[in-house]
Amino acid sequence: MSVQRADSNRLHPHKFTLWVAIGSIIMMFAALTSAYIVRHAQQNWLEFEMPKVFWYSTVVIIISSITIHLSLKAFRARERLRYRMLLGITALLGVLFAILQGFGFYDLYSRGIQIIGDGSNPSASFLGIITGLHVVHVLGGVVALLIFFIRAYSTRIKTYDSTPQEILSVYWHFVDILWIYLFIFFHLAG
Amino acid sequence: MSLFFTIAVVVLIFLIIFQIAKAAEYVAVLKGEQKSNRQQNKINAFLMISFLVLGLIGVYWSNELFYSKTVMPIGAASDHGEKYDQMFTWTIIITGIVFFVTQILLFWFAYRYQHNDNRKVYFFPHNNTLELIWTVVPAIALTVLVVIGLRNWFAMTSAAPKNAMEVEVVGKQFGWLYRYPGRDHKFGQTFYRVIDDGANNPLGQIWRDSAALNLHADPANFDDVMPTTLYLVKNRPVKMIINSRDVVHDVGLIHFRMKMDAVPGIPTTIWFTPTLTTKEMQEKTGNPNFQYEITCDQMCGNGHYSMRGVIVVVTQAEFDAWLSQQKPNYYAAFPEKDPANKVQVATPPTNPNTGDTSRLRGTSGNPVGNSPNLK
Amino acid sequence: MSNEAILQTGVGGAHTAGVHEEHHEHHHHETFITKYIFSQDHKMIAKQFLITGMVWAVIGGAMSLLFRWQLGYPNEPLPMWVQDILGKWWVKDGHITPEAYYALVTTHGTVLIFFVLTAGLSGTFANLLIPLQVGARDMASPLMNMLSYWFFFTASIVMLSSMFVETGPFSGGWTAYPPLSALGDASPGSKTGMDLWLIAMALFVVSQLLAGLNYISTVLNMRTKGMSMTRLPLTIWGLFFTAILGVLSFPVLFSGFILLIFDRNFGTSFYLSDIFISGVGPLPHEGGSPILYQHLFWFLGHPEVYIIILPAMGIVSEIMSINARKPIFGYMAMVGSLFAIAVLSFLVWAHHMFVSGLNPFLGSIFVLLTLLIAVPSAIKVFNWLTTLWRGNIRFTPAMLFAIGFVSIFISGGLTGIFLGNSALDIHLHDTYFVIAHFHLVMGVAAMFGMFAGVYHWYPKMYGRYMNNTLAYIHFWLTMIGAYLIFWPMHYQGFAGMPRRYYDYTPWVSFDHFEGLNRFMSTVAIIVFSVQILFLFNFFYSIWKGRKVRTQNPWGANTLEWTTPIKPGHGNWTGEIPEVHRWPYDYGKDNREFIPQTTPVGADENIH
Ligand code: HEM
Ligand SMILES: [Cu+2]
Ligand SMILES: [Cu+2]
Repeated sequence: MSVQRADSNRLHPHKFTLWVAIGSIIMMFAALTSAYIVRHAQQNWLEFEMPKVFWYSTVVIIISSITIHLSLKAFRARERLRYRMLLGITALLGVLFAILQGFGFYDLYSRGIQIIGDGSNPSASFLGIITGLHVVHVLGGVVALLIFFIRAYSTRIKTYDSTPQEILSVYWHFVDILWIYLFIFFHLAG
Repeated sequence: MSLFFTIAVVVLIFLIIFQIAKAAEYVAVLKGEQKSNRQQNKINAFLMISFLVLGLIGVYWSNELFYSKTVMPIGAASDHGEKYDQMFTWTIIITGIVFFVTQILLFWFAYRYQHNDNRKVYFFPHNNTLELIWTVVPAIALTVLVVIGLRNWFAMTSAAPKNAMEVEVVGKQFGWLYRYPGRDHKFGQTFYRVIDDGANNPLGQIWRDSAALNLHADPANFDDVMPTTLYLVKNRPVKMIINSRDVVHDVGLIHFRMKMDAVPGIPTTIWFTPTLTTKEMQEKTGNPNFQYEITCDQMCGNGHYSMRGVIVVVTQAEFDAWLSQQKPNYYAAFPEKDPANKVQVATPPTNPNTGDTSRLRGTSGNPVGNSPNLK
Repeated sequence: MSNEAILQTGVGGAHTAGVHEEHHEHHHHETFITKYIFSQDHKMIAKQFLITGMVWAVIGGAMSLLFRWQLGYPNEPLPMWVQDILGKWWVKDGHITPEAYYALVTTHGTVLIFFVLTAGLSGTFANLLIPLQVGARDMASPLMNMLSYWFFFTASIVMLSSMFVETGPFSGGWTAYPPLSALGDASPGSKTGMDLWLIAMALFVVSQLLAGLNYISTVLNMRTKGMSMTRLPLTIWGLFFTAILGVLSFPVLFSGFILLIFDRNFGTSFYLSDIFISGVGPLPHEGGSPILYQHLFWFLGHPEVYIIILPAMGIVSEIMSINARKPIFGYMAMVGSLFAIAVLSFLVWAHHMFVSGLNPFLGSIFVLLTLLIAVPSAIKVFNWLTTLWRGNIRFTPAMLFAIGFVSIFISGGLTGIFLGNSALDIHLHDTYFVIAHFHLVMGVAAMFGMFAGVYHWYPKMYGRYMNNTLAYIHFWLTMIGAYLIFWPMHYQGFAGMPRRYYDYTPWVSFDHFEGLNRFMSTVAIIVFSVQILFLFNFFYSIWKGRKVRTQNPWGANTLEWTTPIKPGHGNWTGEIPEVHRWPYDYGKDNREFIPQTTPVGADENIH
């Protein structure tokens, strides 16, 4: 059975699905950040300094974007080892990012700024929940990376179609940009 | 027993309907599908036009039956309400025309263009002029309504006039609390952490210093009164400051055509001018039991339906007499501060809460419900 | 699909399968489980959505009878057998308790809006029709499609289980406004019941997102040759915009729920401030705003009502054209108005909050935008009327429901104009007028769309017809009943009668509606039993209905009628047909209908 398409240079359906999903995720963060702005405009808003470690996590995730880009290039060039290695590095950087965000939370905690519980202020709670949700999206990407990584060991290679890799890297760049947006947002609005 | 009987009847009806339906299907096969389709089509077309006719009669009839039961024929009892009623009439007229025209066309077309072997359908996929007409005409009609509506909206939500009397209305599960500012025309400050129902402080009026909470007693509180019925003055604007102690409630004033949510932590306000006293309304409606009721219009828990409040509209003179009998809540909480208790007065002290509300309580027989289960 | 495809499902939508189109050879062996339960065939998933939706409709409908009994017969105890079924938590002294009343109202609303009219309606018809009418073998991702159903199913189970917890199901209304929904101390239903409600809704959101992603990419990417966007049937357009609305608005609801969950369980103060609960004391929360939740909720909530109605509009347009034997009038205007509605529906949410203390100026903007949305709705109505004009109408059961839809939609839509005008909304907000408005325009109308769709596509789903006579009885009694129940409610609204009251007898202002309440409740019971007739017809006909013997029983133009009478997985046995024209060539050039697959004749002017 062949799939007939009117024109063959249409976007691959799965890639397209990813773009729609990205739209959906954007709506979620847009909702949260607008709620943040609305709440910020009211009184009783705790001002505090963002954890310094967020700068490091920003650098880490930007590097990981570069590594995944390189891995895609390696895949296209059929350099399997390089591809696998870069994939692994990206996954590690993703994990590192999550750990650094954790340090950020710990930093807040040690300064007595509570994200949850009695005495928590919405400004910290928002920061915690928004960055927390972002980390969840990063970790989702890490899981996908690991699956690709493991599959890259498999010897039966059926296809050199790079669509799956492209989809993964689009997603990864997206969570990267999302973080940069959030980072700038918190600095401007916070 | 009656249960089995009912079930038996229902099952029987179902069986009969089913048998008829099955039989109709067999007949259709015998008669030939075309012929029976034609017949069914005729019946349904006839039902369409009958539905239209009966429906129009029904619309008229239900209006006869129910319109008099609404608050519309009595007329509004506030200045905003009068504007409201006018606008309501205009909207009914405009939407009513659209309603009748479209419904009649719909069912008439259904009847008129029922299947007929000889009819040639008119291939009519689009027509720009027509489509433009029914984009523009509704747009104009709606613009008219919006203009009327927004003028009223801004009038109703404008700032209260300077001479407006101020009252505070606070919702809680499940009842209303009212507060007047007293002689100084100033509400004392409140803080929700010092609320204490047992100690006669349901609003958390700050009348004691508290170092722990960093509070200072607010003398403006000492003369604030908290009656159990809300008294308003005819022809005097009133500004309500609306608040909630726990969850979202809503102050609904159907005869004044006003409504506003009570949101914990975020006070809201409305203002209006009552134009008819309770007595006048009782005469106007011919109902000696008539009362202005406050409804709660926001789901607030299992006792939501019992959040009934009562408003009495009186003349200024009656109001002044009533207010002078109200005792500040402060004295209820601190009886020793009450001058009435220091100086022996010949007349027995009036209970601040009965005033002349007795008249009003007596007529309805329903106390302001505080318990979720009135049964 | 193979295991590989399962592995390829990354997280967060990172879909990676690249190859599965190339190996579409028919399934080697289908077991009962892969065919009927974990099926990836869009047609089977459609049936799963439909039947689950029907189960919920019965449960939700039965709930409404219980609370209507309380309103209609406040002095008469419930029948003994009902009391026995419900048990002690629900019934005291022969009446349902206030807790039970509010639990029932809440669950009825939640279940009908989300499980029946969202999942049951668009889940059924998007799954059934999108691949069949655009000419695709299946959805872009059959696996996600299957997952979407199973998330919905799990959500159903969780929701159902909340009926049995000790503190009762959630009872704060389907909109779940905090602080009520956030504080177990404020209402017993906000304890475990609310936890389960939130879990169910979160699962439901996931289900809708998976489904929506799939619908959108199928419509945009998997159309057969010649099927340009302007040749899509209006059903597909309706479903397509529905999916877009869902994908963009459900995440916002999800955000709102996340903040609510944190307020409930982790002591944050997003929605809570200055609260004193009688019997408990002051709460520590400070600085939150309950209004924030309302904004987040209605940002979904309003699009949600269009998520419900757009598929019904599409179905009605299609069925109306087929059975009037005449093209739909103003195809482009129909698509355009769907588009306008979809865009505007994101810009009107605050009309649910006119009396929440909203800034009056902001309110006026929302008045403008809200009344603007009435214009595309008006266009649609007039186009439907013109479609009937000079047609040659066959009153199939589906057509009856389509006509009924238009009538009901007009009645309910016009009352929207009252509510959208903020000054008029003041008196009508949260009264029975609103109940009448949305039950007509959304509840009954969407139900009618669903019935129309079921009667019309039943032959495609099961290869048999439903019984016509039963269908006619079903239609007429439902139509009459719907008006009898909801028309008088407008008057209760004019009287200012608030919704969600357990008992009106203590109220001087509403006491005199007792007779009317009894009447409406009685009609509701009758209309509900008429629906049993439909259910019976539906299930009976699966096995015993008259068999379909022709490929195209309604003489329709769209592609689904070019498949075999009972299509297998993959839909067409040979090549997917090519499309040459729009789907509404009825009565053109003296030909009764010209299917989309017919090439355009040399002397024919193409539309
Ligand atoms: C003609 C266009 C419409 C306008 C101007 C309109 C306007 C409104 C307004 C202003 C409200 C809020 C009323 C209040 O709570 O005071 C409302 C409620 C509602 N509308 Fe509409 N509406 C329209 C069409 C629709 C349609 C097509 C649907 C559904 C398919 C719908 C479903 C609802 C629902 C479900 C509610 C009640 C929500 C609740 O409070 O529980 N409306 N409408
Ligand atoms: Cu309430
Ligand atoms: Cu809305």
